[in-house]
Amino acid sequence: MSTIVSPPPTRAVHTYATAASWLETWSDLREQGWETVLLDAHQGVEALLMGPPGRDRDAHRSPLVSLRLAAEPAPQRPASPSGLDILETLDAEMRIAGEEPDLGWQAPTSVPVRGKGLFVYPLGPARADVAESLLYRLAVMGDEIVQLDLSPHFKRRHIRQLVRGRSLLDALPIIARFTTTSNVHHTLALAMAAEAAWDVPAHPDAAATRVLLAELERAVSHLGDLAALAASTGLTVPQMEYLHLKETLLRVNFALFGHRYLRGMVCPGGLNASALPVDADPVPAAESVRDILRSASAIAGQLAHTPSFLDRLYGAGVVPPSAIRQLRPVGPVGRASGLALDVRQRLSYADYPPDLRVPVLSRADAYARFRVRVDELEQSLDLVLSRLSAWDPARLSHLAVDARAFSGPPRSAQGVGVVEAPRGLLAYRLVLDADSGRLDHLGVATPSARNWPVVPVAVANGNILQDFPIIDASFGLSVAGWDS
Amino acid sequence: MAAMSDPAAVEVAAPTWDRFPRRSVALRHLDAGSCNGCESELSLLSSPDYDLTRYGFSFTPSPKHADILVVTGVITEAMVPVIRQVFLQMAAPKRVLALGACAADGGIFVGAPGVLGSLAGIVPVTVTVAGCPPSPGDILRGLLAVTDHRDPRAFGEAME
Repeated sequence: MSTIVSPPPTRAVHTYATAASWLETWSDLREQGWETVLLDAHQGVEALLMGPPGRDRDAHRSPLVSLRLAAEPAPQRPASPSGLDILETLDAEMRIAGEEPDLGWQAPTSVPVRGKGLFVYPLGPARADVAESLLYRLAVMGDEIVQLDLSPHFKRRHIRQLVRGRSLLDALPIIARFTTTSNVHHTLALAMAAEAAWDVPAHPDAAATRVLLAELERAVSHLGDLAALAASTGLTVPQMEYLHLKETLLRVNFALFGHRYLRGMVCPGGLNASALPVDADPVPAAESVRDILRSASAIAGQLAHTPSFLDRLYGAGVVPPSAIRQLRPVGPVGRASGLALDVRQRLSYADYPPDLRVPVLSRADAYARFRVRVDELEQSLDLVLSRLSAWDPARLSHLAVDARAFSGPPRSAQGVGVVEAPRGLLAYRLVLDADSGRLDHLGVATPSARNWPVVPVAVANGNILQDFPIIDASFGLSVAGWDS
Repeated sequence: MAAMSDPAAVEVAAPTWDRFPRRSVALRHLDAGSCNGCESELSLLSSPDYDLTRYGFSFTPSPKHADILVVTGVITEAMVPVIRQVFLQMAAPKRVLALGACAADGGIFVGAPGVLGSLAGIVPVTVTVAGCPPSPGDILRGLLAVTDHRDPRAFGEAME
């Protein structure tokens, strides 16, 4: 296994006084291929930019830059925009982040379709067998889907407001319930943001266990998504096989960490070892994970030779190139659309190997998303096995929640944490009270919030109504992560 | 190794003894503001490890076919009319299962804007299953408590 423990990626902060200069730098860097994530637009606009790989001195890691607009936004359109594409992208990012300051520019909103023979098929918020609440409005002409409108807001828990004014450790249990199927990554991103703000690096002994937790969570999430995809094509046997593997892995989680979804383990500063069960044994766990890896590869191999499965996935739900360019989907959805962004590789946080292989396909259809998930699942289980072989819970007992280190005045009033959650890039931005260290403001960029706007354009792209459940399942997004 | 099951998870709120089907019971799930943890566990009831169909349970997409309404999440104001409507559309006799800490009492989200945290006054709750999220085994116990009017664990203890 790799024993390289990378220091946390350093982040340069550039502050701009005027919106025009902010926008100019933002669009310049974007055109040079930098990845952008809008973190916040309420207490000053802040965007995170991640450079293309290989430009940093540290060969594999990307430079990380925060562009901050100190003043309240009253930006004007730049005098000579290099192309509307950039502004449309910024506008899309603003909408995705749910933050819409007046930037003097609004992209055209979707036009309601009308016509003879057009039928709007409402689906939701109560829908399917077990599903999160979301309203789909599918406009169909015969069988073909002409337009899809999504209405969230049914399950808003107002998490950002709820954590305001709380201390970091009081906010942690709420953040762990943002999206339970990726709670390790939510708490990890919050922890990394806090570690940056208080300038207290995570304990190096926690790094390997953080990777172990993160990859167990990714594998569980991917197994659930693959089961849902098999179910959407009516193939009950692989669905049941994937569900059984998911349940087996959840039991491994419980045996090792005392919680099926690994909640309560990651904390600012490292790891909460008091929650570790005393009788955790990595040997039978590794045996189970090896079995899961073998079975998962076998199921995927059989699916890859099942014509009725491939027929439904090939060419279904293709993300149009303009949407890939403007919305820049992240995670498996992005990597199945030719965007080779994986934060684990770009920033190699915790102790991810810097030479991590990132599976990328460019078909941008349901089959590519299936293929990318299958590859990532195998890679995650391999990473789990490599970390488990050297994992000794007894040597972690000195790690504990350090409440004192993360209360009181922070070194810096703002901190940013970026991780690769199972569904893609997840970023947290903390704005802290300079005296008490309490949360003044929380900015969260979730992968589901970024990827949901891609779904309507991929669905209304020459697909028929019968394709819809398959396309929906192939995205594998969570509503909780968007409608929060 | 500690058990995944919580002995105190199932609480039968109102034991009612009118006729209720025990052999073929259709479930309608409704998310009223969850973190998707309960959904993840609920979907595992179909897995071969739990196989809810051997107890006669099945999921149905239609409220008209449903016998038990399974509600997860914090109960947001936006979902109140939806919960009412779905319950109204179900044919009697019908039951409600409040699933997870959030549906039971709002859990950690009490005090958030737009969050009611309780089904009281919206639909009558028959059984509550605690846990965050409750394990699939505890959910099955809760479903059996809906049809049998008592926690099967209590039945097992009486036998011993």
